[in-house]
Amino acid sequence: MHEKEKDLISAFLRGEVDRRGMLKGLGAMGITAGSAGTLLNMMSTRALAADFDWKKHSGKSLKLLLNKHPYADAMIANLQNFKDLTGIEVTYDVFPEDVYFDKVTAALSSGSTEYDAFMTGAYMTWTYGPAGWITDLKEWINDPEKTNPNYAWDDFLPGVKNSCAWNGQPGGALGSDDAKQWCIPWGFEQNNITYNKAMFDKAGVAVPKNIDEMITAAAKLQKDVGGIYGIGVRGSRSWATIHPGFLSAYSNFNEKDLNLTDGKLSAAMGTAGSKAFHAKWVQMIQESGPKDWSTYTWYQVGTDLGAGASAMIFDADILGYFMNGGDNKMAGQLSYAAFTANPDATASTPNIWIWSLAMSNFSKDKDATWYFMQWASGPEHAIFGATKMDFVDPVRQSVWKDEAFRTKLDKYPGYVDMFDASAAGASIKFTPQPLFFDVTTEWAATLQKMVAKEVPVDEGLDQLVESIDRQLKEAGLG
Amino acid sequence: METTSTLEKILRLIALTLVVIFFMFPIFWIFLMSFQTNETILAIPPSVIFTPTLSNYAALITGKLTTAAGTLDIAFMRNLMNSIFLSVTSVAIALVLGVPAAYAFARHKFKGSEDIAFTLLSFRFAPPLLVLLPLTQYFQWLGLADTYFGLIWVYQLICLPLILWIVRGYFEDISADVEYAYRIAGHSWFATFRKIALPLAGPGIAAAGLLAFIFAWNNFVFALVLASADKQPVTVGALAFVTSSGIQYGQIASAIVLSVTPTLALALYAQRYLVEGLSLGAVKG
Repeated sequence: MHEKEKDLISAFLRGEVDRRGMLKGLGAMGITAGSAGTLLNMMSTRALAADFDWKKHSGKSLKLLLNKHPYADAMIANLQNFKDLTGIEVTYDVFPEDVYFDKVTAALSSGSTEYDAFMTGAYMTWTYGPAGWITDLKEWINDPEKTNPNYAWDDFLPGVKNSCAWNGQPGGALGSDDAKQWCIPWGFEQNNITYNKAMFDKAGVAVPKNIDEMITAAAKLQKDVGGIYGIGVRGSRSWATIHPGFLSAYSNFNEKDLNLTDGKLSAAMGTAGSKAFHAKWVQMIQESGPKDWSTYTWYQVGTDLGAGASAMIFDADILGYFMNGGDNKMAGQLSYAAFTANPDATASTPNIWIWSLAMSNFSKDKDATWYFMQWASGPEHAIFGATKMDFVDPVRQSVWKDEAFRTKLDKYPGYVDMFDASAAGASIKFTPQPLFFDVTTEWAATLQKMVAKEVPVDEGLDQLVESIDRQLKEAGLG
Repeated sequence: METTSTLEKILRLIALTLVVIFFMFPIFWIFLMSFQTNETILAIPPSVIFTPTLSNYAALITGKLTTAAGTLDIAFMRNLMNSIFLSVTSVAIALVLGVPAAYAFARHKFKGSEDIAFTLLSFRFAPPLLVLLPLTQYFQWLGLADTYFGLIWVYQLICLPLILWIVRGYFEDISADVEYAYRIAGHSWFATFRKIALPLAGPGIAAAGLLAFIFAWNNFVFALVLASADKQPVTVGALAFVTSSGIQYGQIASAIVLSVTPTLALALYAQRYLVEGLSLGAVKG
């Protein structure tokens, strides 16, 4: 590389030149944007090496367990830089999402030493952490000998970072001072609206601003557009039905899943506010949801939106992001908006799913594993993934401020505004506790009965509260 | 009477046609899907008229899958080869071990023979999830984790009891007098087994082998838990088309066509043995 180009990139890395200035300068030197990205990535790696002994574990090898996901693809595409930087050899196993957590659970519960680090969701750490299968990462994060000075732990979005930390006490607040950092956030999903603008225009419907408007808009879209249904939300008998749009809207009304009183947990779905919200949600699905809603998962909700079978979804923003590309019929025709379900609330409060990196407690070399984890969750890789690959939504504030990334999102109308409007309120809204999957699965089953009119909303919630309270007591939690 | 008989024939033909359509339509539809893109598959309303494409098969064979989130590497052909290798090897070993054992159980009554036979059969009763975690730990201690050898060993839990019990029933169905006559002529028991019993039990052995192959081919959980991604069979590999950025229906359909083909070809070839073997051997206890 020529000295002039190196100097310019180095100046950018020192913060003396902004990204636009650097790209403009490189352009003047005849370097394309693509090549500039590669050069920047290479120089970033060299800059990293200048401040920290990245070669400390050179010659060692690690093995990762990864889910088939764009986040994993982005990491694999950049992995050679880590190998060059550290001299650590990294191999990995990638499994499809449908079976991924079975593989993780089998590996961890058998005490397998095969994998050093793995992808996980934050919810799963509420099981893995107390079981002693994963490591509290605070020891490494807070050790300047083990963590490079450019790691910038404070750069992570606070709500996301805190959502990955729990003290292990049932009902304990996420991110509390005594919390253990069970995983490092990698990429996350906020639950908001993705909508088909052409259908909205055809029906003369504005983007809904609260749950009542959403119910009305979905019904009108279904009636006026024809051949479609109004709104896609998940409905299978699974925790995954509760966590996206449903819980995001529910918590916007300040409603909770569980109460914590004197260290004891109890179900919180029996309040008047909760019953009123459930009634509206059920009405919306009955009037404007998909016909076989009770089978709907991430895949069906997304596929219908991409195929033009639904007018909008209230689900993960990145699901809408993916459906706006590829060979989807509606590619390039989708728009995004933050959603505040409660008319009295000032901002949206999306519940979030966080793909994270966790360290196996059975890892044969935790220090070397942490080298990989800090690189993979570091600012340089985050910028690479967000600008060159599909690493959305990034968890670092600096990436969201990055001009190249924001420009990339221009072809996703409203995405940046949606993020800016809801990021501050984005966090996990569930109460962390070991019966998480039991509680949420039963909650989803109750919703199914309500939508199928097998039980009235009030009665269904009373039954749900009674059942969950009983389970909590049996488990010594209530 | 003649009219009734003709009517009966027609009704029977219609009923059979409806049954065939009912069972074959999903397969036919999957076959059609394998030549379509996601866009035409998801078209509303669905149509049987489309421009066929080989892109799904090309993606499987080249290992490059284009999704909304870019191009992904897929290892479907490797998964397919793994399935063939694991199933064929496992069945071959199970035949070598199981057929003589079945003959011994059928012809020689020895102390504890029924207990041993039932112990072997009990391998089929054990829910895989119950034995997998202890197996994982044993495999790690023995160095068998993530090896083809280890997987083939575990696949014997599927194949061996099946072959042993089906073939045993078939041996028992053959009159022992034929073998005695051969033995009286001065031949050894092994020669009797090889020259008389084995040829007579041929259809039963073929049927048992085929069934064991199908069960081994369909297995999902053993390789998932006990091996790395590069040793996964097609049952696990096919799930790679269900990605967070969308379901690749066309590729799933073509993967089904490719993965069904070996079993279907075997089943068609050995159809006669399968029916004969099952009806004469397995049901006889």
